[in-house]
Amino acid sequence: MSETHQDSGPGGDIDLSQFYQIFFEEAAENLDLMETMLLNLNLETADDEELNGIFRCAHSVKGGAATFGFSDVAELTHKMESLLDRLRRHELQPNSAMVDVLLESADASRSLLARHQSGDTSDAPPTGDLVRRIADLAAGNAAPAPVKAAPPPPPPVAAPKPTAPAVAVGARQLEIKVGPLTHPEQADAISELFRDIPGLGTIKTLNSDRSDFRVFSVETASTDDDLLDLFTFHVAREQIDIRAAAASAAPVAVEDNSHGFFDDAPGAPSAATPAAAPAPAEASAGYGFFDGSPGAPSAAPEPISIDSHVVEAKAGPKAPAKAPGASAAQPEAATIRVAISKVDQLINLVGELVITQAMLAQNSRALDPAVYQQLLTGLADLDRNTRDLQESVMSIRMIPMSIVFSRFPRMLRDLAGKLGKKVDFVTQGEATELDKGLVEKITDPLTHLVRNSCDHGIESPAERLAAGKPETGTITLSASHQGGSIVIEVRDDGKGLSREKILKKARDRGMDVSDQMSDADVWGLIFAPGFSTAEVVTDVSGRGVGMDVVKRNIAALNGTVEVDSAEGFGMRVAVRLPLTLAIMDGMSVGVGEEVYILPLSSVVESFQVKADAVSTVGQGSQLVKVRDEYMPVIELEKVFQVPRFDFDKNSDIMVVVEADGSRVVLLVDELLGQQQVVVKNLESNYRKVPNVSGATILGDGKVALILDTAALVRRSRH
Amino acid sequence: MGMMEKMEELTSTGAREYLTFRLDQEEYGIDILKVQEIRGYEPPTRVANAPDFIKGVVNLRGTIVPIVDMRLKFNCAKAEYDSFTVVIILNLRSRIVGIVVDSVSDVMELPPESLKAAPDIESVIDSGAVMGLGSLGERMLILLDIERLMSAPDMGLSSDE
Repeated sequence: MSETHQDSGPGGDIDLSQFYQIFFEEAAENLDLMETMLLNLNLETADDEELNGIFRCAHSVKGGAATFGFSDVAELTHKMESLLDRLRRHELQPNSAMVDVLLESADASRSLLARHQSGDTSDAPPTGDLVRRIADLAAGNAAPAPVKAAPPPPPPVAAPKPTAPAVAVGARQLEIKVGPLTHPEQADAISELFRDIPGLGTIKTLNSDRSDFRVFSVETASTDDDLLDLFTFHVAREQIDIRAAAASAAPVAVEDNSHGFFDDAPGAPSAATPAAAPAPAEASAGYGFFDGSPGAPSAAPEPISIDSHVVEAKAGPKAPAKAPGASAAQPEAATIRVAISKVDQLINLVGELVITQAMLAQNSRALDPAVYQQLLTGLADLDRNTRDLQESVMSIRMIPMSIVFSRFPRMLRDLAGKLGKKVDFVTQGEATELDKGLVEKITDPLTHLVRNSCDHGIESPAERLAAGKPETGTITLSASHQGGSIVIEVRDDGKGLSREKILKKARDRGMDVSDQMSDADVWGLIFAPGFSTAEVVTDVSGRGVGMDVVKRNIAALNGTVEVDSAEGFGMRVAVRLPLTLAIMDGMSVGVGEEVYILPLSSVVESFQVKADAVSTVGQGSQLVKVRDEYMPVIELEKVFQVPRFDFDKNSDIMVVVEADGSRVVLLVDELLGQQQVVVKNLESNYRKVPNVSGATILGDGKVALILDTAALVRRSRH
Repeated sequence: MGMMEKMEELTSTGAREYLTFRLDQEEYGIDILKVQEIRGYEPPTRVANAPDFIKGVVNLRGTIVPIVDMRLKFNCAKAEYDSFTVVIILNLRSRIVGIVVDSVSDVMELPPESLKAAPDIESVIDSGAVMGLGSLGERMLILLDIERLMSAPDMGLSSDE
């Protein structure tokens, strides 16, 4: 059969492509295994088990190839299987020629598979010669085919299309009777098979004497078993009766016929097969070349050969260029689909590696550089490599923001239509990448912000015109990297926030506000629970459930929200998020015997406290004055009930942390250092712990808790 | 779940294998299929505001696992940590938990006929968590529904209260 890989096989409705990868992997394994077994095969004492093993490999590859419609591979492996079958039944004695040809066939199958895998639709490396040689050997023909003498260079032997009907298995004339069938039309599908599968042969429908039978005259090189395998997709095996036709056509005629057919086959050599006449000359020229320079395949026209029946004269430069290319270009998909759990496991393992590396680094710190120079250099390399590895592995989880952005145009269109507004939607930085976990979590808050912009921000066309703005408003969604964070902005050119309205609303709600508040503080009010300045509560937004939720969700991702607005000109909401949830820059602090991690992003500064700097308010809350600003003090020792064994030590280091726009001072014993930590979820096996956002594993394998600075800040307010 | 149903559930599943462990003088058995591994005790990282029987969390090859000291949970007279103290890592339906016990004795198969329903008694163990009693000659094995025990709200192991 010639190469045919159409995407719809007999089971056209089912998408087989999802199984392709599995098949390719399995086939590669089987071919490797077969090769190993062939190489280990002792020709004199080959036992059944070995031969059966090899046979099974070929059989599996054939089965898979046939299922997926890689008929060239199926054809070749089928021949291998036939030969191996005779070997294992001891009808033939294995010899080295057989092993050679089987090994070559395995190579050829590999390159054919690689071609299918890469979707390469160019000319297939022909396998006809191999097929013929196997058939020769299988027929018990001890003398190896002439070409054998000159083993072809790596690219598999070029030859006519795979089904090159060698004399031994030449095309046969068959009469196939199908029936009895309740729906004889079913059998017509068989004719279609012949039409769809190049190289299968030709079929003619003959008149049938019974209406529930169909009779075909078939001319094919395939075996009965092959045909039955194919036909059973359409009709039951028992209903098929294959018989040799009365008079077999002369081989030469068959040959011509097949050639005619091949020329039509998709992917057939573009240079048409020449007439049979020049064949011998060509062939001998090929041999000459072969003998002379077996190692230089690319320099010359594809060598080829065979007997006078079958001649291939491929366009010289094209084929050799292709063939090495096929073997060099390993099957490579642009992307692979991998279960997220596998990636997470990889990330976990790399995390462990980073921890081990950190441990080594820690333990080696005390070593004398002069004595342990090599070890230390190695450790420095390890440090760099683990970091690179970590970065690469983390990047697997990164997906572009376009995934999130793409849902907005449609949503905005519907929304604008509903609100009677005209809105243009602009996106920037769609290629910016973000951790997959974050992408999932940022979608809802972003949706809310975009809706808000459309609903509250953009004015109606009439209002816009009255304000001297273009009728159509613009909402811009942009994403960009800034340092270790990603900043996602939602901008609109609508009416912006009104300071007066917000302040009025806040007063109405009994909030403590003053006209002297800074703009930023005023804008911050919109994040208060239940706060909405929308004049009309629509079904889109305005119920006041919203900005506070947005802010909370984003804070939960270790992110921040900033609002900027100019009344009459629009507003901008910027969401700043860490690039990934899985790794964080942390500062480790010691309290008593315990170690806690502070997110470095929230650490502002740290300093040694002076005894007189702390003052108390109302016998409880402590305040410390840092450069004209009083900040609440939180003693971690108390918050975490840290047992203290060494009363000489006490907490006299202050760390200023900022979260939710306010600052607090944490009192700790000592600062231990800064390091990247792998954030682990505490809740997956345990529960939420107050003031703790997660856990990580330190260099010594111990668990350290990561402080939730936002919670600590909130705590200080109450 | 009534006592009868519990017994039914116990016996209908046929003879199961139980991992038996000791807490002080008592011998307990838990479904072996819930056991992931057995480790030596290493001091966990203390977690603030947790009940005293939650010793803290440890790093189990990259996973953060809480450690419950069953001896404290069951009010045993003493809970010492020495080289014989063992942690049984349980793989429950949705989470991994380690329990500290005095020692692990055996894995044994209990035929259904050797199982008895536990009488209603006053005990620190939620009676629903005792599946039954297994008699092994002179010894009595308390079969625990460890899944139920660990997911009980008073364990404080999960966030939803």
